[in-house]
Amino acid sequence: MERAPVRAPLIKNLELKVGLLLVATLLLAVGFLLYVLHARGVFQPTQELILVADDAEGVNIGMPLTFSGFPIGQVKRLDLTEDGRVRIHVAVPLKDARWLRTSSQFTLEKGFVGAARIRAFSAMLSDPPLPDGAERALITGDAAQDIPVIMARVKAILSNVEAMTASDSSINRTLAHIDTLTGRMTGDYGMLEGVLGGPDKAQKVVHALDRANTLLASLNGVSLRVDQTLAKADQRVFGSGGVMDQTDRSLAQVNAILGDVRESLKRADAILLAAQAAATNVEAITADVKGATTDLVILRTEVDDSITKVNHLINEINRKWPFRRDVELKLP
Amino acid sequence: MIWVADAAERRALIDSLPEAALVADDLPLRANLSVLENIAIVPQYRQNLSYQDAADQAWALLARLGQTDCALKRDPALTCVERFVAKLLRAVILQPPIILIDRPALLLPDIHYPPFLETTLQALAGDCEDCRILDYAWNAPLYAPR
Amino acid sequence: MAIPQRFLTRVGGGALGWLQAWGRLLAFGARALVQTFTPAAYNSATRSVVLKQIYFTAWQILPGFLLFAALLSYVIIQIVVTTARAYGLSDFALEVSVRVVVLETLPLLTVLFIALRSGAAINTEVALMNINNEIRALEDAGVDPMRFEFTPRVIGGAISVYALTLLSCILALVLAYVAVYGFQLWSVGDFSRVIAKIFTPTAFLTLTLKSLLFGLAVTLIPIRAGLEAPRMLFFAPIAVLRGMVRLFFVIMFIEVASLALVYM
Repeated sequence: MERAPVRAPLIKNLELKVGLLLVATLLLAVGFLLYVLHARGVFQPTQELILVADDAEGVNIGMPLTFSGFPIGQVKRLDLTEDGRVRIHVAVPLKDARWLRTSSQFTLEKGFVGAARIRAFSAMLSDPPLPDGAERALITGDAAQDIPVIMARVKAILSNVEAMTASDSSINRTLAHIDTLTGRMTGDYGMLEGVLGGPDKAQKVVHALDRANTLLASLNGVSLRVDQTLAKADQRVFGSGGVMDQTDRSLAQVNAILGDVRESLKRADAILLAAQAAATNVEAITADVKGATTDLVILRTEVDDSITKVNHLINEINRKWPFRRDVELKLP
Repeated sequence: MIWVADAAERRALIDSLPEAALVADDLPLRANLSVLENIAIVPQYRQNLSYQDAADQAWALLARLGQTDCALKRDPALTCVERFVAKLLRAVILQPPIILIDRPALLLPDIHYPPFLETTLQALAGDCEDCRILDYAWNAPLYAPR
Repeated sequence: MAIPQRFLTRVGGGALGWLQAWGRLLAFGARALVQTFTPAAYNSATRSVVLKQIYFTAWQILPGFLLFAALLSYVIIQIVVTTARAYGLSDFALEVSVRVVVLETLPLLTVLFIALRSGAAINTEVALMNINNEIRALEDAGVDPMRFEFTPRVIGGAISVYALTLLSCILALVLAYVAVYGFQLWSVGDFSRVIAKIFTPTAFLTLTLKSLLFGLAVTLIPIRAGLEAPRMLFFAPIAVLRGMVRLFFVIMFIEVASLALVYM
């Protein structure tokens, strides 16, 4: 039988060309698959390292573990423990495992931009190598990580402020008190009235001060006179109805007055302290209160001043006339 | 020979012979294949032959009809005789129980077709036992009396 | 009363027809796939059609396509690398450029190229075969047109798209290495790490699946559109038009679906 001619040479080497293409494709496909598997570390014998962190934010599978900037391992798996911590399984090729020692530290670093990095630090390369399956804590140092914590705190502070500004809050009550206080301060006796709690009491203090002042003036006079007469007539001084008697009476009087003053000052001090404490707590709303306490401080200084003068005077008397030691003045 | 009076009768007759392989004007060759391939494709499918074996069979049939010249031509380049031969051989190689040549006047408009049909079918004797020609009755005078 | 009813009927009919067309397409695809994996469906003729399809679809355009793909990839990679450096993010340049070029641009580019070239050709050829009744003729001659004409084209088309995608992607990877690290081999380790990070099993499977689906779409849809054309010559352009539009939407759908799969 006659043979048919070979197929029309429409396409030269059709089978060869297509075969070439198919074989090349197949080889490249398999080659690429093997390359990717190799890149993913499928063919490398590895040892496992488990890093335990509170938060695995930013950690993903395939992320490198670097040592001195060189990748020596890869994150393989992440899972959550019963107590809510994260276990990061890192596969470290055996040839790179020598960089990890029992004393190695592991940190997770995150910036605002860019991927997180897990880094290993091995200070002592002479320490024994890290065993397979070792579990280590992952220390996180992260700029962004602090933000939620700060936010939580800010929230707490805000809620505190909110509680303070509520209509029935203690601050508001304090303010109400301060309000009545300043109301009183605007009375006839101003600050003193405010501090001491009423116009009558303030009046008393003012009177006491006045009396102390007059007393001081008279004492001054007395001491002058005493100075003048001292040299002349000692007996006169010590005789009954003499200067000394007068002085004694005056001193007793001064003592009583000063006792009054001391009591008042003690109370003023207490109020002052309370007011100061309140002022430190509520810095924002305290322009008024601060002013008030400054006034109080001035008052206190004035009172102190007067008392120092009295003290000075009495010391002088004591120095000049060292009698009746039992009459002792205690100044606040 | 089958004589039919009109188109409806022709249609009915074709439908009554579903086992027949038709050689008809409205069943063209595959346009992007050569004559040889058009014929060889049938054994390639039916008997799962390699192309070379199938092409050998097809070539042998073409050779029996002396039409190997057109073996590598494609449909638009064929004369009506060559096209008819290709269609006929495509039916023959299928080895059907009946081959039905539908309206040969339409397939072979340029020649006096009855004698050509006769010689062609004689050349293929042994490969097509039951070959019927379907033509309109008014063409009967064209055929030589038997 | 009659107008809304007619309108509704038309809308319903349109939707039904649309659904049926897609249903037939899916059924057709399923048949082609089943045949692909049926060894008995292959014979010397189908193998020859597969080879020719691969030759016409892939081999003929190989040099030009690879050159074009290389040029385009290199330009995109350079843009990404330069931009990334400008923003101080050069660590990410390689990853971003590989993701953009290899995972997304090149597969899409390949399938669009083949759709324009071979998809349109197949659509026209099948439409003409259908209109000329060649399909009926093949059936009559005892040749299953599905086995002889369609399935081999689907296989050939899918293999071609896959091969071109793979070749261009590997070329682009080499170019990406050169663009980022220059002509030296010391950075293969760094490169491998980035590749390992990008080509997770999911990404790998998605890429493979995507390019296979592209390959199926680029042949199945034109064939189906050609077969659906009414058997009149003036319907051939309409069949091609419909097939191409449908193919475009399917390609875009596959692309978006794959993106959603990888990045969501």
